[in-house]
Amino acid sequence: MGIDWTVTRAIARRELGSYLGNPAGYVFLTLFIAATGAGAFLQAGFFARNLADLALLNKVMPAILMLFVPAVTMNVWAEERRRGTDELLLTMPVRDVEVVLGKYLGALGVYTIGLGFALAHVAVLARLGDPDVGLMASTYLGYWLVGVAFVGVGLLASMFSANATVAFILGAVGCAGLVFAGTAPWASGIVGCGLIAGTATLVWITIQGSSENAGYVGVGGAVVALVMWLTGTFAAFEESFGLLGVERHFYGFGEGIVRLGDVVYFVGIAVVVLYVCTFMLGRRHW
Amino acid sequence: MSTSSAPVTIRANAISKVYGDFVAVHGLSFEVRKGTVAAFLGPNGAGKSTTMKMLTGYLAPSSGTVELLGKDPGSSESRIALARRLGYLPENGPLYLDMTPRELLEFFGEVRKLGDIDKAIERVVEQCAIREVLHKPIGKLSKGFRQRVGMAQALLSDPDVLILDEPTSGLDPLQIREVRGLIRELGQQKTILLSTHILQEVEAVADTVIMIHEGRLVFDGSVAELRDGRSLESRFYELAGAPEAEADEQADDQADEEDS
Repeated sequence: MGIDWTVTRAIARRELGSYLGNPAGYVFLTLFIAATGAGAFLQAGFFARNLADLALLNKVMPAILMLFVPAVTMNVWAEERRRGTDELLLTMPVRDVEVVLGKYLGALGVYTIGLGFALAHVAVLARLGDPDVGLMASTYLGYWLVGVAFVGVGLLASMFSANATVAFILGAVGCAGLVFAGTAPWASGIVGCGLIAGTATLVWITIQGSSENAGYVGVGGAVVALVMWLTGTFAAFEESFGLLGVERHFYGFGEGIVRLGDVVYFVGIAVVVLYVCTFMLGRRHW
Repeated sequence: MSTSSAPVTIRANAISKVYGDFVAVHGLSFEVRKGTVAAFLGPNGAGKSTTMKMLTGYLAPSSGTVELLGKDPGSSESRIALARRLGYLPENGPLYLDMTPRELLEFFGEVRKLGDIDKAIERVVEQCAIREVLHKPIGKLSKGFRQRVGMAQALLSDPDVLILDEPTSGLDPLQIREVRGLIRELGQQKTILLSTHILQEVEAVADTVIMIHEGRLVFDGSVAELRDGRSLESRFYELAGAPEAEADEQADDQADEEDS
């Protein structure tokens, strides 16, 4: 049975409306424009470079997004759980995947609107010089794709707590893992440990059909990963997990190069986390 | 009122729900037949809401099985089809506070894929008397109106089965009378299971009573059988295992609550 897009669209629209109907949503959007504007034009060397591009913003954009995107997604599930409306929604004739996709597309819509406003930076560049349209298009595509991945991570984080602040912190930590992986060997190693621990926990929950002792399995997985890393049992530990870093895949877009592999990377992260979200939601039936 | 020959609409077969070391529901078994208004009675914390969540398919039982209209509401095959025939009002009537009742009903109408959403909304607006607040944000409504909007949501698809978790909670006496009247009217055609700890409510609307205490079934029968020639209060406290002195005190509390 396929996905019912009528249901998914209704949920996405409700999510988008909820965000845009809230003054806090506009405050976040304003902060986003301000932060990206500062990243683009207020860094030292922008005018000295004499180039109408967003190279300086590209260096800090993943870091901005690792804070901005979880701020957008922190309430997506946390608020539903806090108010108890998840019970109402999940007893409707809807499939879990339709709910997850609806919520994801709603949050991605909010991010896309924010990014739309951030196109103002291109207008500023056009006023100052003559920006390359193709380069701008690929750069913004890159920004959007980072959001595609981070919105998924933030959505997953929001499922773990009914407290929005906790959901924000979890989301920011998850996105930070992707931002910092590949920037330094130690960062890649930590991300690898976290990923192995998380995967071990999910596999355990799947096999057991319950979350009993899952915490021990997670810690056990982290210890095993740590031993593999620090003893050099798995020689390419840092290099392997470094491949998961956003920077490596985002870099090309800022240079005007759109590689299929990079697009697949960002979309792949979103697909994996949305699958995990659907899996987590289905756990209530166990 | 149903007869014993009416088909079973809701069936719990030895269902239990365990959270870690805490057993919320212990091997509960009961049936509710078509066209019956069944009161799910029990003191606070007895496991009523947990049981209702299992009946709607929101939670899976740790053991035992649930049947709604002859099918398992938790299974992926039957869940969607059953959800179309089920109206559910969760405990405390959770709603999206940023929406107006009209927007909320349109949203759920769309999610439920109702053919004529406007007609369905018009029907439940009349049934639940919410026209005057239809375009006000739910967050600004009184608890009584929110509860009525929750009822309207549950009735939107004109479901065969209604599961209502404390439907009169937060309503004033006039509103309580109206909701009870609505439940009695709906009970002519539908199967209704409503949870309550208010004994007056049981007498006012229920055909049968299922009483649980500490997650265990302590009574399943008609209101007359529950009464057993005594007052409902004394029977309630007897079944809830309340000591005599405490029972008197609770009877006063109960009377106060019913008066309010």
